[in-house]
Parts: sequence; structure tokens; C-alpha cells
Amino acid sequence: MFNPFTDYTLQNVMIGAALIGVISGVLGAFAVLRRESLLGDTLSHAALPGVCIGFMIAGARAMTPIMAGALATGIVAALMVVGLTRHTRLKMDAALATTLSLGFALGVVLLTWIQRQGGAAQAGLDSFLFGQAAATTRADLYPMMGLTGLAIAGVALLWKPLKLMSFDPEFAAVAGLPVHWLNRVLTAMIALAVVTGLQMVGVVLMTAMVVAPGAAARQWCGSLLGMVVMAAAFGATAGISGGLISALAPGLSTGPVVVLVAVSIALVSLLVAPRRGLIPQWWRTRHRRSHTSTDRILQTLYELAREHGDWRYRIEEGAVDAYYGMITEPQLTALADRGLVVSARHMPDEGRHWQLTDAGVAYAGERHSRRDRRAAASR
Amino acid sequence: MSEDALHVEDLTVSYGDRPALWDIDLNIPPGVLAGVVGPNGAGKSTLLKAVLGLVPRSAGHVRVFGQPYARQRRRVGYVPQRSSVDWDFPTTAVDVVTMGLYGTLGLLRWPGRRERDQALRALEEVGMDALADRQISELSGGQQQRVFIARALVQKPDLLLLDEPMAGVDATTEHRIIELLAELRRRGRTIIVVHHDLQTVQRYFDWLVFMNVRVIAAGRLDAVYTARNLRRTYGGQVALLDEPSTRGTDAPDAPP
Amino acid sequence: MITRWTVLTGLLAGLLVGPVSALAQPMVLGTTGMVADTVDAVGGECVEARALMGPGVDPHLYQASASDVRAFQQADLIVYNGFGLEGQLDDVLTRFGERRATLALAEAAAAQGSGGAIDGAGDFATDPHLWMDAALWSQGAAPLGEALAAIAPDCRDAIVARADALEARLQALDRWIEASVASIPAAQRILLTAHDAFRYYGRAYDIEVQGVQGISTSAEASVADIRATTALIAERDIPAIFVETTINPRNIEAVVKAARERSAEVSIGGTLYGDALGEPGTLADSLVGMLMHNTARITGALGGELAPLPPALAGRREALDALRSRDG
Repeated sequence: MFNPFTDYTLQNVMIGAALIGVISGVLGAFAVLRRESLLGDTLSHAALPGVCIGFMIAGARAMTPIMAGALATGIVAALMVVGLTRHTRLKMDAALATTLSLGFALGVVLLTWIQRQGGAAQAGLDSFLFGQAAATTRADLYPMMGLTGLAIAGVALLWKPLKLMSFDPEFAAVAGLPVHWLNRVLTAMIALAVVTGLQMVGVVLMTAMVVAPGAAARQWCGSLLGMVVMAAAFGATAGISGGLISALAPGLSTGPVVVLVAVSIALVSLLVAPRRGLIPQWWRTRHRRSHTSTDRILQTLYELAREHGDWRYRIEEGAVDAYYGMITEPQLTALADRGLVVSARHMPDEGRHWQLTDAGVAYAGERHSRRDRRAAASR
Repeated sequence: MSEDALHVEDLTVSYGDRPALWDIDLNIPPGVLAGVVGPNGAGKSTLLKAVLGLVPRSAGHVRVFGQPYARQRRRVGYVPQRSSVDWDFPTTAVDVVTMGLYGTLGLLRWPGRRERDQALRALEEVGMDALADRQISELSGGQQQRVFIARALVQKPDLLLLDEPMAGVDATTEHRIIELLAELRRRGRTIIVVHHDLQTVQRYFDWLVFMNVRVIAAGRLDAVYTARNLRRTYGGQVALLDEPSTRGTDAPDAPP
Repeated sequence: MITRWTVLTGLLAGLLVGPVSALAQPMVLGTTGMVADTVDAVGGECVEARALMGPGVDPHLYQASASDVRAFQQADLIVYNGFGLEGQLDDVLTRFGERRATLALAEAAAAQGSGGAIDGAGDFATDPHLWMDAALWSQGAAPLGEALAAIAPDCRDAIVARADALEARLQALDRWIEASVASIPAAQRILLTAHDAFRYYGRAYDIEVQGVQGISTSAEASVADIRATTALIAERDIPAIFVETTINPRNIEAVVKAARERSAEVSIGGTLYGDALGEPGTLADSLVGMLMHNTARITGALGGELAPLPPALAGRREALDALRSRDG
């Protein structure tokens, strides 16, 4: 059994994927909070024409012109989105989708055109669609480390302005922050994150790396700092485990496996996180339901009937549900079984109603006066 | 002559082809609790935003305590309408208030114990100190509004601008807010409130600005709150007016 | 006076002239360069041979454009490799197969007699890279001749004669390659390339072959692929690994660096022509030249020697010498 941590190829893949996870987690956290998740998608798809152009100029082996091209067209796309929202009636989502499609279509046209020219110049260009992680060398890692370090330093330095701007842009403007410039810087940093990951994860799936770790982290953390750190951790975990899994099983592409891990983490977080997760919420509702006693519900019916001066007052089940914030039908049915309430109909367009029986009035009245006596005694 | 808390001259702001504010002249002296009222679309919020530099000016200028706003940022607190914020943001009440101090910290300093104490004291002033570590998404509407007031108060501003602070808030909270504002006024601050409810104007404010794209009237409440000014501001929109309750006197030949 | 009727008549005449002039010489469309070159060798001046894919184009990934479909429509005969090599052209070829004369050259060659196709792996029932085995490919000359003669019946004799000549030439090439490869010492007789294009070469000329990727380049090389190749190099002490013109060399470079970490010194033995011909004017601009180029590089890197050129291949001697002298 080989030791994954000493294997050269695997080391490169895991380190590279971890770096991508960190940079896209950190910046993706901001994108998710600002409802700009689709921006990552637009930037990565719009990077494809830039990759092709870089390729055409410098050939297959030179990563720097390719990354520079990707960054350039990504930034052009971001400017286009801003221009569309500001000068036309298009809203943000339509502007993003338009730019995404335009950029990607342009990229595919360039891609297929280059492929027809043939030659090693085009060989491997399509690997940018889904990434080609396996061929990562140590030399590829250095620019990735640089970009990740730059992004982290940028976020750390601009932490307070970014936090203010993401939470309350109007307040940030009032406080004198150059909100437009900060927006551009943040967009440029997201573009950097996208470009860093293109080689390994590819254009089509990079958006998941931007969104998933941030969305997952939001579920667990109540502070921005916690969320950003956790997003970086989730991203790195996805990268390392994705790299490992794709190496152990034969014939698995690394990029998509990393994305699968990241999305799984997000899904699990959505389900399981203590405060915001779906399962804990469901559990709490159930708990509340089983602990809301039938007696309390009977008391509510009693007091309402007393207020209206009519022991036969009919209350609609929906009103009882609303009062307790849950479905009360099981408790009402249990009370009916005990002969304390009976169901009734009132208006044809209304739902089921409930009213007290004589036995119910007596039972509830007794408990009510017992309670009053106890309260008077304790005073 | 002591300088006005707020001096606005010839201010014009337009969104597109119609002006939202036109030729606004306004002088609000220090130490008053002033209400700004007018019908919907009168430009009341726009006035505050123009003072703060949030919207571009087509004409005119604004001075806060004699200086352009940009130089007086620390002395001005702003409580916006609640809608401009992301309520699901991961942050606590005390964290929101601390953000109000970021301007004083500069780029490199991080908020520490001193800032947290200042924030807690501001929360105390609005009665929210018990909920300091609660996530803002878990607060009620009135509680959120109070947190935002605390954020504006934490840097101890001399001028406080509030945009419809009572909108969508229950009666108890509204009472608390107006009490707080009155207390601040007693301590010498100047407070300008964009207010939506004519019924309470007389109880809350000692200074009033009637506006509808232009300033219709501005001055001490007694002098300005007249039937005539109400009509001029609201056109036909004010249905019920008890003549005896308006404290001003109309000139005998004023149009009905 | 030029009225609109004159213009219209002129246009109509032009439209008629086009197809009429095309009738003069049948056009045969070959998909890969290897196929088109073979068509040209057999058809000569009797047909106009055109290649769909130029030098360096990867046939596994090539997709037909609108202008390509137009070319298909104009062709009198469509010759393709078959066995799934032109993976993205499947639909187009099937559709045209119903309307036009088509010939799957590799399939025809394999069906002819001795030799036969090698089983493939994964999506490939059969390995399509038949042109790597010169003798096997030569079995396709006769069926090709028949198909060409069917569309250019006046030229039948000339075509059949050229088909025979091509068959002879390919047989000579086959023997030359065999002799050259045999000179490689047994311990070093392993051909390590970017993808599994050389299995026919390996079987025909008795050299073990391994590819980093599988038969098709459409899937990316996985981490497991790279590691397996690196392990192989370390175990067997393989001296050279080869790059291909249609494949990004990054995978090979990654393998070389990984192997170095394991203290196995492997060098890049040179560039091979796997799935496409070379640029016009180079040795590899024809099928024969392509195989000669590959053999020269392989023997050079693995410590073998080229056999003396038979007369049938003498025409390429100059280019071959130029290639070898470039190695220094």
C-alpha cells in the first residue's frame, strides 16, 4: 500500500487542489453573502476565450500567458455585467447569464477553431473545460501559492471595508468608503480565484468551488471571520480528499471529484448544522409538538370560549395551529377521543372547527380555577 | 451667530428626467429635534441621502456645522431605512454596533476590548444590551431598529439623521425610540428625523420641515404647523384636519 | 445593357457550370490525413483527394463544422478510418452512409485476410489505429481500388495498378520497420507513449507498448494513470518516453518529473506521429513517411539502428537523412 503523502504526483495534486480550495473558499464566502454566486460562474465561463487567446499567442506550455488571458477576459466580462446593469433595464441575474453565455460561446468557437488548425498548439486546450489536475507539476504550484497568498493578504488588509460593504453598502458609503472601487477589487480577487483553479478544475465546474465551501460555512458560523476561515478549511478538505480519492480509484478525473466532495460537504451542512440545518429544525419542531400538551390546547379553547361568552364557541383548527406555531391536529384528536372536544363545521369555505363538550368545559374549568388558586396562594 | 447644524442651499437632485429635490434651502439650528414630513415621493429620504453624499447633487451645496460633510463624518450618525441591509448576514448585535466604530480605527487597527465596551454601552442606551450576542437574523423588527440606532450612536455624533425610524415598528418600540431621541436632544445633540406619521408630529418634534420636492415651510413647530402649510404640502391628501388643533394662525386673506 | 435578366441567367449558368465541371474529376473526401494520403496514392490523377483533418488534428476529438458537411455533400466517395476513431463524426458518417458511397478503410483492411484487428478496451470494441501496421494497412489497398474504380470507371486499370504498387511499397516498409526494430536490445524494447495508439505497431514489429492514456484522448489522464506509468518506468528502467503531436505534452512532462523523484532517469525520446500526419514538406507528411519518422525516433531513443532503405522507399532517403542529422 503506497503512502500518499510521499508520492510526488499525488503531493502536487493534493497541494494544488488544497490551494484552490482555500482561495475559492475565502473569496467565495464573500460572493455567497453578497448574493453574487453566479458571478463566479460568469467569470469562469468567460475565462475560456481568454484561455484560447493566451494559447494562440504563446502555445500550450506557457501557463502565464494563458492565465493572464483568462484573467483579462474575466475582467472584461465583469465590466460588461456592470455596464449592462447600469445602462440597460437588465437586472443582475439576466446580465450575468447573458455575459456567461456570450463568453462561453465565444470560447467554444475559438476552441474548435484552434482545434481545426491542429498541431501540438491545440493539444490539451480542451482540458480547460474540466481541468487536468493529474499533470500538475511542482512548477505549477508556485504561481498558485503566490496567488493564494496574495488573495489572503488582500482580504486580511481590507477586512473591515469588505465586511462593512458586504453587510450594509449604504452605511459603508456614508462612512466614506470608496464602495465602487472596493467592489471592483473584490470582483478582481474573485476572478483571480477562478483563474487559479482553471487548470485543475476547469471552466465548467470552477463555479462550484466558489459557491459550495462558502455556502457550507454559512451554516455553521455566526461571525464573518468564522465563516471565511471555515470556508477555507472546507475548500482545502475538498481539495485534499478529492485528490486522494481520484488517485486511489483508477480512471477518475480529479477536478470533478474535488467538486463532488465540496458539494457533498455543502449538502451535509445544509442538512445537519445545529442551528440552521434542516434536520435539527425538523427535530426541534417535533420536540415542540410532542411537548405541547393536550391540556394547554384545551385551556386555549376554554379561554377563547370564555372571552366570547359562549361555551359552544367554534374555533377553526387553523387558528389553533397558528397560535402554537405547529400542526395541532394530533392533540385535538386525542382530546376528542377523551370526549372533551368535538369537531364541527361552520362556514362552507372554512376548515374544520372544534368546540368544547360539557365534559370539556368542566375539565378545563376545574384546572383553570386550580391554577388561579395556586397563583393567588403564591402571591 | 452660532453655526447651523445643517445648512442646505440651492440643493437640487434628480433621478432621470424629473427632479426629486429642487432648490432646497434649509437651515436647521443645533440642539433641536426636527421632523421632516411630506407626502410619498416628496424626496425626504433623498434629502438625507444628498446630505450624506449617497446620491449625486445636480446643484447646490450642503454644510454640516459649517463644513462639507466629508470633513464631518465622525460627527454625523445615520440610521437608514431598514431595507438596505442583508439580515441573514452572520453577525451579532454587538458586532453590528462595533462596525459603527470602524471609521475611527483606520485600515490597520482591529477592534478590541475598548471598542466592544463602547458598543455595549451604546446597546445599553437603546435597551438592547441583554441581546448583545444574539444573531441579528433572530431579532424582531423593533430590536433590529434599535441596534441600528445604537450603531449610529456609538461614535457619539453631534448630528443624528434618521430615515423613518418608526416605520413598521410596534408602539412600545416607537415610544422607546422617541424617548431616546428626546434624551439625546436634552444632552445637546441635533436630531433630524424623516417621519411618515402626521398624527404624532406635534407630540414628537420641536422643529418641523414641510417638504414636497421643495421646502414648503421650515421652523419651530408652533410657527410652522398650520392648516395652510399642511394643505400646501399635501395638496388634497390630508382628509381630516381639526382646525382648532393647529396652533398657527392663518393670515385672513390666505386661500382656503 | 445589363438587365436583371442577364444577371439572373448568368447566375443560373454559373450554378450549372459548377456541378458540371465537378463531374470532370470525382472528389474523394478522406477523414484523417493517413486515409487521405492512401486515397491519393491509389487514386492519383483520376480523383481529387481531400483531407478533412489537417496535420496535427486529433481525430478522436474532431467535430464536423457546417463547411465540413458541405464538403461531405460534394464528395463522390467518403473514405474514413472506422472502428470508432472519428468518435465525434459518428452521426454524420452514418447519415451520409445512407446517401453516398462510403468506405471504412481500416475495417476493410481488417476484413481482408490474415492479421486482423486487435480488441480494444472500454468504449472501443476494436482498436482503430490500424495504419501503424504497414502490412495490415496494405490489405486495404485492393478494396480501396475497387471503390475508387467504381466512381472513376475510365481509370480502372490505372487505379488497380497503383493499388498494387502501394501494396508492394507498404510491404517493403513493413519489412524495413521490422528489421530496424529488431535491432533494439530486448531489455529496452518498450515503447511508452502518450496514448494507446501504437498497439498494432507493437504487435507487428515485436515491441512492447504502453500508453499513459487509453485508446482515446477524449478522457483526461487521471492521477492513477500518471502514477501507474511512473511506476512502470521505475520498475522496468525504461530509458525513453515519447510525446505525440496531437497531445499536450504536459502529461508526459509530469511523468518525467515524477519518475525523476523516484530516481528513475527517463528522457523524452522525441515526438511521434500517432493520430495525424505532419506538416507538408516534412518527412511525416505521408503515411509511409510518418511510419519512417516514428521508427527512426524509436530506434534512436531506445538504442537500436535503422536497417538499410529498400529501393521502394528510396524516394524518402533525403528526408530521412535530414531527420537523423537533426538529432546530431
